[in-house]
Amino acid sequence: MKLRIRLTLMTAGAAVVAGLGGAVPALAEDVTLSMAVPDWPPTRIMKDLFDKNYKAPSGNTVKLDIDFIPWPDYYTRLNTSLTSGENKYTMAVSDSQWLGAFIEAGYYRKINDLIDADPDLKATLADMHPAPLQAYATYPYKSDNYYGFPQMPDIYVNYYRTDVFCNEEEQKNFMAKYNEKLPCSPEEMDAIDWDMYEKFGEFFMRKKGEMLAGKVLDDDFYGIAYQAGKAYDFSTMQINAFIWQYGGNIWDETQAPTGHAEGVVNSPEAVKALEHYLKLTQYMPPVVKTGGMDIFKTDELFREGKVASNIEWIGFAESSINPETSKVADVVAFAQAPGLKVDGEIVRWANIGGQPFVIMTWANDTQIKEAVDFVKWWLSPEVQHQFAAQGGQSAIKSVYEDPKYVTYRPWNRTWAPGLDWQKDTWHIPEFFELLVQGQEQYDLAITGKQDAKTTLDNIAAFQEDLLSEAGHIED
Amino acid sequence: MTTDTVPVSGGLPRLLELRADNWPLAIILAVVISIAAIALLPPEISFWVALAACILAAGSAVYNAWGRYKGGLLVAPAIALLFIMNIFPLMWSLGLSFFSYRANRARAPVFVGLDNYADILTDPVVWERLQTTAVLVVLTVTVQMVVGFLLAFLFAKQFPLRRYLLILVLTPMMLSYVAVGAFFRYYYEPTFGLLSQFVRLFTGEPYILLQSTEGAMAGIVFADAWMWSPFVMLLVLAGLVSVPKYLYEAAAIDRASFWRKFTSITFPYIRGLLMLALLFRTIEAFKLFDIVFLLTEGGPGTSTETVSLYLFRQAIQFNKTSDSTTISYILLFTVIVLTNLYLYFVNRRARETQS
Repeated sequence: MKLRIRLTLMTAGAAVVAGLGGAVPALAEDVTLSMAVPDWPPTRIMKDLFDKNYKAPSGNTVKLDIDFIPWPDYYTRLNTSLTSGENKYTMAVSDSQWLGAFIEAGYYRKINDLIDADPDLKATLADMHPAPLQAYATYPYKSDNYYGFPQMPDIYVNYYRTDVFCNEEEQKNFMAKYNEKLPCSPEEMDAIDWDMYEKFGEFFMRKKGEMLAGKVLDDDFYGIAYQAGKAYDFSTMQINAFIWQYGGNIWDETQAPTGHAEGVVNSPEAVKALEHYLKLTQYMPPVVKTGGMDIFKTDELFREGKVASNIEWIGFAESSINPETSKVADVVAFAQAPGLKVDGEIVRWANIGGQPFVIMTWANDTQIKEAVDFVKWWLSPEVQHQFAAQGGQSAIKSVYEDPKYVTYRPWNRTWAPGLDWQKDTWHIPEFFELLVQGQEQYDLAITGKQDAKTTLDNIAAFQEDLLSEAGHIED
Repeated sequence: MTTDTVPVSGGLPRLLELRADNWPLAIILAVVISIAAIALLPPEISFWVALAACILAAGSAVYNAWGRYKGGLLVAPAIALLFIMNIFPLMWSLGLSFFSYRANRARAPVFVGLDNYADILTDPVVWERLQTTAVLVVLTVTVQMVVGFLLAFLFAKQFPLRRYLLILVLTPMMLSYVAVGAFFRYYYEPTFGLLSQFVRLFTGEPYILLQSTEGAMAGIVFADAWMWSPFVMLLVLAGLVSVPKYLYEAAAIDRASFWRKFTSITFPYIRGLLMLALLFRTIEAFKLFDIVFLLTEGGPGTSTETVSLYLFRQAIQFNKTSDSTTISYILLFTVIVLTNLYLYFVNRRARETQS
């Protein structure tokens, strides 16, 4: 592989020298950027904007050849393509956790040279919020080695139904039961902590035939939902938030090689955090007991009107306000995800979502140049505003701090305050092994087979072994 | 093979003669050139050199056979394709199982001999997955055999709309695994699912089938049996239809009981096909992956994770290439041994009954 890279670089170098020596003015070429992307609104909007507006500054005719791959298969499909050596894609929209695995394999190209050579790009990246930039671009995490540019930054927010929360009868009953006001406006909802969220769960859990907001329910109804599924990272992302909020930590790769998993991953704070996470699941729809409550299921339950509130990625929000795909489109409102109250302040650490663009090592010089121009176009304020106006998000400060930004979509108001609380999970090549084992153990806890302490002890022991073997932990 | 047509010339041994139709020499040369190229040249060049050497050898063999072995030439393309698409990758992966290698690391494979096999065979996790698989195989194959057998008995009789019902019963077998998996996911789903809604009519509580290990197992077995019982039915039905009517008529004259008719006439006719169904279904169930992956992802925890799902994680998710090839070969070996054992017993039985 290394040899191939060297050869490619040599050929590319020779081509540049030949080009300069010949001093022939460059002719317009047809350049195709083939890209693997997950299939969801943020990438569909990108393709749409590209096809309508993009003109390459080089004068070349640039075509974006996109493979839209469904989320649940995305990692396996991309991994298979990259590992097979078919070199099919010039670029990809990659989940941030995959950076280490695909960089160590020699697939993702380091982009420090491209940034240094381009003052505009450098300025754009300097204008970016550090949390998403570090999460999407750096490997090792938080180092100065850059590999990606944000495509769609994402965080989770609280989706809730105003017809339920703002109903007078419900307001009155909630006050009578808990002696607290049931939040109704997004501002009131921003201020809630997990204890309050638990009360929503208890209060709104109703049986078929009972009353909800003045109507007789034709099916069971539940108060709250968040991800607690077995597949991919569909419980880890929310559990990490609890662990960080309690002051605990996951194994911290920035502390390698002296940082351990044993004693950190299963610290008393982390155990308390996981217990809290598990406690709330008792108020969630019964599918939570099967390991099937992934981000797609919670989204579906919310859009079908089966839950009062759901903690979900912003990436799904567009479909919840669309009457064609959502039964609650006209009554949905958005607030910051709840946090843990510590000394009167709400701590909101959360696991960042979203994805960066990456360029592959086998891209040739023309493709790299066009890819950089394309990324610069994508990150330009004008296009970022257009993207946000159609439901996307921007990590660029001058864009999201613009007063117009919050007017585009109802959830945009949660964006700027949310960004400061984002951290990311591991970027190391072994992430998938850590993730799968963690998900298996969390699944046992969520389905009621083992307690929080045993779960985290098992995870810590596994991680300590694996990370020591891989050289990430040394004594 | 070529003694009749190729004249022996000079004192040179025939093998060393430089002639276009000397295919054994061409093959030896191709092997030597390929090995030398792989050892000495960078991969980008050695690949093409080795390919050219193989084509030369193949060309020589074709030249030799031209006009003389028409049959052989006609099947040659198929054999070549089989070699390129199946046999070569199979051999390659067998080779990899003796190396330490991960497909997504820019490091060359390191020879480790039988270490991978020793590691896998002593790994308690693999044994646990094999046990899970064994339980699922026994359950699902038993259910399929019983249901398929009963269905075949039903459809062996003539009744109105039989043809149409038969097509309907055969449909599950023709669906894709993904469709079946997605269908049963909704079927078992406690909030929207039919099963839960039905149970709730009686208990008032949503029914969460996939919550427990036993429930998840039952869910998988039911879905798999739903899909594959028709296959067993089809084979048994073919056996039932082939029983000559006069045997039953003779038995009726003798006033043989139903049971006697079954054991003396029906069963001997369908036994072979029943055994075939058992063999096919056991091999397939041993590889059970799709439905488990779609329904439970191996959960709760890893309690329904079959060895195929484990293999998928090792190979595709963790990129542990050599480990996963090792598991594959152990599985292949297990299936071959089981199949042969089974065939041995069936044949012995057949011989016993004949004698």
